Amino acid sequence: MEDGLRVGGKGEKMKNGLDARMDRLFNRYGDGRAVCVAADHGYMCDVTPNVVQLRAILDAVIQGGADGVLLSPGQAMRLANFFRGRDGPALIIRADWMNMPRLGTSNVANAVPQRVLHHRKMITAGQALALGATAITIFLLLGYSDQIEAAGIDSCSRFISECHEVGLPCIIEPLAYGRKVTGANIVEVLTLAARISVELGADALKIPYTGDVGSFRRLVNIANLPLLVLGGARSDDERDALELFAEGLEAGANGCLMGRNVTKSPDPRYLMEQLCGIAHRGWSVERALRGEVWKHLRLKAHPAKCTGCGLCLTTCVAWHESGAYGTHLSRLRIVVGKKEGKHRVMFCTLCGKCLEVCPAEALRWHPETGAVELLVERCSACDACIQVCPTGVILHSDKGIALASGKTLDWYPIVCDLCGGEPECARICPTGAIFAAER
Amino acid sequence: MQSKDYRLRELFGPSDGRSLIVDTSAGLSLGALAGLERFNEAVSPILPMADGIVTSPGQSRQMSGRKKTDAALLVRGDWTNALRDEGFVLPAEVIQHIPLLSPQHALDLGASALVIHFLLGYEEMIEAECLRMTVQLAIEGSKKAMPLIVDLQPLGPRVVLRSKAIELGVSFALEGGVDGVAIPWPGEESFKTVMTMAAEAPVWVKLTISDSTIEQLRNALDVGAVGPWFNEQLFAQVDPGAFLAKVWDVVHPPSTSAM
Repeated sequence: MEDGLRVGGKGEKMKNGLDARMDRLFNRYGDGRAVCVAADHGYMCDVTPNVVQLRAILDAVIQGGADGVLLSPGQAMRLANFFRGRDGPALIIRADWMNMPRLGTSNVANAVPQRVLHHRKMITAGQALALGATAITIFLLLGYSDQIEAAGIDSCSRFISECHEVGLPCIIEPLAYGRKVTGANIVEVLTLAARISVELGADALKIPYTGDVGSFRRLVNIANLPLLVLGGARSDDERDALELFAEGLEAGANGCLMGRNVTKSPDPRYLMEQLCGIAHRGWSVERALRGEVWKHLRLKAHPAKCTGCGLCLTTCVAWHESGAYGTHLSRLRIVVGKKEGKHRVMFCTLCGKCLEVCPAEALRWHPETGAVELLVERCSACDACIQVCPTGVILHSDKGIALASGKTLDWYPIVCDLCGGEPECARICPTGAIFAAER
Repeated sequence: MQSKDYRLRELFGPSDGRSLIVDTSAGLSLGALAGLERFNEAVSPILPMADGIVTSPGQSRQMSGRKKTDAALLVRGDWTNALRDEGFVLPAEVIQHIPLLSPQHALDLGASALVIHFLLGYEEMIEAECLRMTVQLAIEGSKKAMPLIVDLQPLGPRVVLRSKAIELGVSFALEGGVDGVAIPWPGEESFKTVMTMAAEAPVWVKLTISDSTIEQLRNALDVGAVGPWFNEQLFAQVDPGAFLAKVWDVVHPPSTSAM
């Protein structure tokens, strides 16, 4: 396979077309990212509400800002209107088909059970282009059998060739599925499949998240191609989809191609807005879940919901003290009651008394987060702030500190910094007893 | 509107948008059918009483000379032995399904639509090939302005939930790009699901002929079916014309029928 640097002739024109289509998909906002929705489930799966209501769901996700939508060839023809115009999303067409979702125990509805995996090419690259595709996607299945793997590699190789003839990006979707795939080797199998796809000439990958940032980062580095992370199985908690996506981006992915988590969401438009916020506006997951812009926030409590579990204390220490355990350095505390629901969580209420009482003006409001900030160079360790704190959450540090002035403090006050704007205690609290609110 | 929509419109009553289809193409698989041994004599009288007649490619030649009020021509574009039961002279041992016509061929024969089977419940390769055929003919049909209609056949031994299988078949057909589907009646709930999926694509209901046919037809029309799709069973009736006239009045009530 020739590389892309052909000079003149058809090769150069095709490369231009391919680059233009890659930009259409990944560079709508100039950030090399794409938030896409997979809506091809009706092509391969049993009939579920997201299949029946496809048109309405598509309308919602496009309003939510989807950069691309994956459809079967038939729906691409039927729903062509959605992709017209400069603001329209990119159309990705599923160019092959397989019956894996309806195999054996993976087939929940069991309308027409399938016993043997079957994988088939459905359209050519030229046909996809004529339907208005910006890219096509095809599967590469590893782990079922040697024959399926070999057939998949042959098919992918031919497809890539066809696609590059007409300047159409080919996105390979490596999947690890079958009796040869175990919990122990699935990450390695996915990484292998990703690399094989690269070696075959794929222009981008659509691949499941490996479960942690470290292993996914390794896969991203080995692939060294634009990579869209799959949403995986549907979760009832939309936080899961957002966190998966955020971790994928952290590991180096270029976006996502989420299916059921979006199409089966109670509010697909809103979820799409959240995903786009994370990808294109740098939102954190918490910001995306909040759904509104707060300049400053504060902690608040539902006292009746506190069970005294202490997770907030542990996570506070873990976040601030580089993964340490123990709660004595927690910036909040729990007053334990005798009965469940009678505990009280005490935290910094931003009352400002510590700022007022500090004789050295070593405490101030952080200009970005609005939390209390210690200017340690000014601190004299006089203890006034600790004494005045009405909730008793300003602490003595364990260790001293050498100041730039040459002075050494035996200890300094530890104050709540709201974790830089996204308080971990509010995020981790399982009951919502402590939560963040706009200040 | 796409150019093939103009051709598809030829299958519908202009004043009410409904459609009565008679499928005579099973002879391609089953040989001479009862009542259709002399094809032209059997079919000519009912031409004004249907909106469309499905024929095999060979019998389509009998359909020349149609008048404005006669049924439009739909042509069967594939062959299968799946329709043969165990009592047939050559029962199927291994299910086969092959394409016969392209949209261009259908155009050359003067058809308004191309009809193919979608076989459900057989081996994986059969299902995959049905879907591939559907996709390819839909794409080619779009280029040639030839609508594609799928005739769903949930006949295979693996069909365990018939209504769900019909929903699945419709879903696959729509994902493949068809312009219309003909399905066995799946029950009212499943039919509503089918109608939601189909959106604007017409859905015909394949009815068997019995004492309850008219009532079933009324139910189907009430929930959005575009009309009935009868097979060769019609010609085994004592008076196919009389039966069809009765059905016509239900599909195209006299107050709405174009004269």
